[in-house]
Amino acid sequence: MAANSIMASSKPLISLSSNQQPNRVQIPKFAKLPQIPKSLTSSTDLRSKALSLSSATAKSLALIAAFAPPSMAEAMEKAQLFDFNLTLPIIVVEFLFLMFALDKVYYSPLGNFMDQRDASIKEKLASVKDTSTEVKELDEQAAAVMRAARAEIAAALNKMKKETQVEVEEKLAEGRKKVEEELKEALASLESQKEETIKALDSQIAALSEDIVKKVLPS
Amino acid sequence: MNVLSCSINTLIKEGLYEISGVEVGQHFYWQIGGFQVHAQVLITSWVVIAILLGSAVLAIRNPQTIPTDGQNFFEFVLEFIRDVSKTQIGEEYGPWVPFIGTLFLFIFVSNWSGALLPWKIIQLPQGELAAPTNDINTTVALALLTSVAYFYAGLSKKGLGYFSKYIQPTPILLPINILEDFTKPLSLSFRLFGNILADELVVVVLVSLVPLVVPIPVMFLGLFTSGIQALIFATLAAAYIGESMEGHH
Repeated sequence: MAANSIMASSKPLISLSSNQQPNRVQIPKFAKLPQIPKSLTSSTDLRSKALSLSSATAKSLALIAAFAPPSMAEAMEKAQLFDFNLTLPIIVVEFLFLMFALDKVYYSPLGNFMDQRDASIKEKLASVKDTSTEVKELDEQAAAVMRAARAEIAAALNKMKKETQVEVEEKLAEGRKKVEEELKEALASLESQKEETIKALDSQIAALSEDIVKKVLPS
Repeated sequence: MNVLSCSINTLIKEGLYEISGVEVGQHFYWQIGGFQVHAQVLITSWVVIAILLGSAVLAIRNPQTIPTDGQNFFEFVLEFIRDVSKTQIGEEYGPWVPFIGTLFLFIFVSNWSGALLPWKIIQLPQGELAAPTNDINTTVALALLTSVAYFYAGLSKKGLGYFSKYIQPTPILLPINILEDFTKPLSLSFRLFGNILADELVVVVLVSLVPLVVPIPVMFLGLFTSGIQALIFATLAAAYIGESMEGHH
């Protein structure tokens, strides 16, 4: 297309220089690039005509056209930009083949793989969220266990306290009893000693009174 | 002006033209059963297909959960294609991913092969190797396939009710709606063909005038245009398919 437009801009110049050039205007499908004149017989004439034009680009284009080698002109004659042929259906078939082949080796396997990976990651994330509740449960369990343990310890402490108290009281009572017994014994022994001394005193009283009587009463 | 004419004169006399000849619309013909084909288009398209299939097979023969370089790239491309298809077609984009993706990849690799692969090393008796997309046959083939694809999409989705879209807003628009079915492939094919051919022509002409440095920005522009054209073709194809599949309200 670009080539067409490039050549189209030089069309008036060509028709100006050589009148034998037919101006081919056809449907784009079979459009051929316009033939460039092979004969450069009137090159000086052409140059003067070209110089008479004001635009610099037009001049250069005319020069290119004037000095283009004949091989270019021959090649241009065959050039076909809009040349439809069997290439089109072959490209269609190649494209369909490429589509199915790429689907087999690329889109499907890699797509499935990526989807599976996404699913597994999502699953793992979800399971992580689940374990957070599990962790809470475990936490509560641990707290319960701690509470139970504390209660147990407290109970054991109380029990021990009670036991030791009872023991202490028992021992106290025992000690008291012992002391009382000893006291009783001591008291009893004191009493008996008192009685003994009184008895002894009683027996001595007669002798003493006899002595007193003997001493007081003159004999 | 004299300087310019002199320089052009010497340029042509020294045969620079023949070194970097502008060969437009010349074809290397093969005869197949009485029909002519453009051999240069077929050869380059085979190379493009080989590049696509070969690289895909190489990169994805053993997919890893954590992707490595090649696989990563191909996953990125697939995500991109899926994204394009999904935005244009909608939720039912799944079956169309191969078509849209192959359109995009084939056109993209074709265009870039024309700019990047040194085709000129291989001499042909006539014509020259270039991007397959700078031949009208290729672009029209792809555009016609797109037309078939969106007709198929519409008919398989809605049956004969698909044709009610021709009188959809009002029956007055019937001729325009029918015309659209012709302008769609026409514009698709000519846009691609014109862009790629013009791009290659501009580069060739610039190279023939100034062989050093100056054509480089134009070459980069060409690469950019090639990518954009591939994306436009694939996006428009997807849009047409989506348009023929969507329900009328």
